Amino acid sequence: MDTSNPAVLVNAELLRMHVGRRVRTVIQVLKSDGGGSVVGRSTDEQQLIIKGYPSAPLSTFVEVIGIADSNQSIQADSWTNFGDNFEMGCYNKVCQLANGDFKHLFI
Amino acid sequence: MCKYAASRKSKISSNCVLSAPSFVFSSNVVMRSVSIAIRASGRIIHFFVHAIVSKSSKMMFESSQFDSQAGSGGGFFSSQNADSSRTSAKSRDNQPMCPVTVKQIVEASSADDKSNFLIDGIDVYNVKLVGMVFEKSARNTDASFVIDDGTGRIACHRWINDPQDTEEVEELMDGMYVRVHGHLKTFQAKKQVVVFAIRPVNDYNEIATHFLECIHAHCCNNKSQNNGSSAPAASTAVATQSGHQTVPSTQVSQEYNVDGLGSIDKMVLDYLQLPSSLTDERGVHRNEIAQKLKLSQEKIIETMEALETEGLVYSTIDEFHYKSTAS
Repeated sequence: MDTSNPAVLVNAELLRMHVGRRVRTVIQVLKSDGGGSVVGRSTDEQQLIIKGYPSAPLSTFVEVIGIADSNQSIQADSWTNFGDNFEMGCYNKVCQLANGDFKHLFI
Repeated sequence: MCKYAASRKSKISSNCVLSAPSFVFSSNVVMRSVSIAIRASGRIIHFFVHAIVSKSSKMMFESSQFDSQAGSGGGFFSSQNADSSRTSAKSRDNQPMCPVTVKQIVEASSADDKSNFLIDGIDVYNVKLVGMVFEKSARNTDASFVIDDGTGRIACHRWINDPQDTEEVEELMDGMYVRVHGHLKTFQAKKQVVVFAIRPVNDYNEIATHFLECIHAHCCNNKSQNNGSSAPAASTAVATQSGHQTVPSTQVSQEYNVDGLGSIDKMVLDYLQLPSSLTDERGVHRNEIAQKLKLSQEKIIETMEALETEGLVYSTIDEFHYKSTAS
């Protein structure tokens, strides 16, 4: 697990710009069947596939960090439960700012 | 440009509105509400962050505790601007806390002095970070770990002086999100944060809030650099790197007040910001506002209370005269 690289904050729309790179995002878990992938709703309300095996049962909102392997999927190596109460809209705006006008503070 | 309005809907007086990062601990459960409006490339983006903070939880940031350790701290925004022009090594202990990303620290230029760091052209000493803990190693007298906030990694060092410190450090686990407060230092040619407080993040909205605070601080610092003014951050438009522009405070407040305020609230605020209202030191009597805007007594009382709670107005010589905080 290589965590020394910065992980860019992304939503589904921004994910496509970072394919092959390390990203972090928050999803609302829609389907988690333990089969090596989780289906989630992104902060900008699109569907994302997160590949990997979470080490613990997932809460409603989960932060994943990993490599963007397509414009709809992430190969995750870090899963953090963000609980059942999370402002997706706010996080989404932060993603936009972190890739937009204030990119230089983040990446 | 970037504007910032922070308001809390609970037991907080209006003067601590801008020290939004500090947490409230006056009641068992407190609704923390921060509204931030940032205008970037002509778009206005509003944020609301609501976080339920329960008193028993460890994420409580007792502002008094941080204040005592970080100098007069707390109110980063107003004092930051005032200090920026005359910062010296001597006043370092009185420096406010600056919310930063790790990338900003990594890129901070440390000049001649070993612990002199410039971020956005401002001498920064005390910093706040929110990120994940890695590579923790604890000893009897100290602990070291790395904070990764997604923008980079920075070494942190925590001296252990009393049982409470030990507790703080024992709680730390790799991969866990924490907020740390500390000061910047160069040790063996590497930048590090000498941490004086660690709190686990229990409400993950804090991560987004922290980044918004970093952006806001960055805007404020650039603003104070560009025109050298020490105007209060809440009421002034702030420049981004693309250049700066002065916006009258009334215009600013009109923009951010649209967010979450009713039309009557807005009318009252607009009235308080009229030049004729601003000339009188005592502010404006609420009956006068009611009369001019044709509002009922109940309505005006309710409106003024709401605006006061939001930190947008304050009462002056008595409980009937009000002034706008933006003016």
